[in-house]
Amino acid sequence: MSAGLATPVPSGRAADESAPSRIAVRRLDFYYGDAHALKGIELDFRDRHVTALIGPSGCGKSTLLRCFNRIYSLYPDQRATGEINIDGRNILSDDVDVNELRARIGMVFQKPTPFPMSIYDNVAFGMRLNERLSRADTDARVESALRKAALWDEVKDKLARSGTGLSGGQQQRLCIARAVAQNPEVILFDEPTSALDPISTGKIEELIEQLRSEFTIAIVTHNMQQAARISQYTAFMYLGEVVEFGPTGGIFMNPAKKQTHDYVTGRFG
Amino acid sequence: MADHIVRSFDRDLESLRSSIAAMGGIAEKQLSDAVAALVRRAASLAQAVIAVAASLDGLQREIEEQAVMTIARRQPLAMDLREVVSAIRISGDIERIGDMSKNCGKRVLAIADGFQAQRIVVGVQSIADLVMDQLKVVLDAYAQHDLDKALDVWNRDGAIDALYTSLFRELLTYMMEDPRNISFCAHLLFVAKNVERIGDHTTNIAETIHYLVTGRNLTAERPKDDRTTHPEQAG
Repeated sequence: MSAGLATPVPSGRAADESAPSRIAVRRLDFYYGDAHALKGIELDFRDRHVTALIGPSGCGKSTLLRCFNRIYSLYPDQRATGEINIDGRNILSDDVDVNELRARIGMVFQKPTPFPMSIYDNVAFGMRLNERLSRADTDARVESALRKAALWDEVKDKLARSGTGLSGGQQQRLCIARAVAQNPEVILFDEPTSALDPISTGKIEELIEQLRSEFTIAIVTHNMQQAARISQYTAFMYLGEVVEFGPTGGIFMNPAKKQTHDYVTGRFG
Repeated sequence: MADHIVRSFDRDLESLRSSIAAMGGIAEKQLSDAVAALVRRAASLAQAVIAVAASLDGLQREIEEQAVMTIARRQPLAMDLREVVSAIRISGDIERIGDMSKNCGKRVLAIADGFQAQRIVVGVQSIADLVMDQLKVVLDAYAQHDLDKALDVWNRDGAIDALYTSLFRELLTYMMEDPRNISFCAHLLFVAKNVERIGDHTTNIAETIHYLVTGRNLTAERPKDDRTTHPEQAG
């Protein structure tokens, strides 16, 4: 008699174990001053997969995302040690150009952050900073990014209007378009739908599923069902450490660690 | 296991478990009554056996509704989700067990008037004893989340199949001996088949318990020893 492991991935597309690792985190430690916020993180984010980071508030999920584009380096007492290898290059090393890095790693935050400028300029902003493009090329990139962010049809006739006049869900898709316009390799989402209604949330989730065909995606979410729906891999973090990491189906249907089980079933505390 | 932060979630799951236990208790008594009605040719007991199936149908519907509401309201994951899915599956199996016991009751009514030698009934009684034990153990295994007990039930089904095969041959012999036995033995054969099918449902429940406890499905072929469908061996 043998028992077969049957834990299918619940999202539309299954985890592909042969997909290469796009981001390899090795021995990563992070400090806010004296506070040791991340402890020996080892994680692989696979190419063209959605990896969800779950865990209670303060466990280090957002801190980990902030390491990928070195946003923390804006603050003098914050530092990271170890390695984050993106396409084989350690982006924590001093010789990495952070501006170039931030163009390669798009980030979308919990609260939509449109700039107080037109919809068009919001999307063109990043690429104007980093590239010299003709007007025609810029137009084409803006349209393509808005299409990828599933916003084009709603804004194509009012591109000159302010981005801040859009609804919350539209603003968030505008921010996704702004990230996508730079042709990044990785997109990081930090609780992208926690301020949105269910319909806007559905649109963003659908969008993430589509973006997955082009980008490597990491998402921090407090919504367990969302992680189960849209990710192929999930990491459960607690107190600055990765407690369990694996295909999403396993984490949510049959987690190996008791702490993971207690968290996903709402027994934590 | 620790309680949920939302305590009413624990009460929802507990309510599902106790409803399954209630269904199991009714089904156990119904089966033992069906066998007692057969042995004693007791028509009134057989009628009670038939009547009780409706209450199992009602309980199954209630459990399904509770389970669907729990999924909608709590969005259970991991063990909790398996608990809810298992409740749906097991209540379905118990409801089928009830239907089969009911059919046994109907057969008893059909043969209640004709006197036959008791020795013919004894074989059915022994297979029913085995199945009643399986049902009791598997319901205990569910209540206690006891994987070993569930696997015992799963592995023992072969013995029931083997007994059914030998009973099948025995009844054929009686029918060949004296054509006046045919009607009685044919009904008895259906009773035996129903009891054997109840055994199959107890192994379904054992498989569900395996899934509930481990998160994995039992994929191996269950031990089978029902040879009545092989003509060269059945005669």
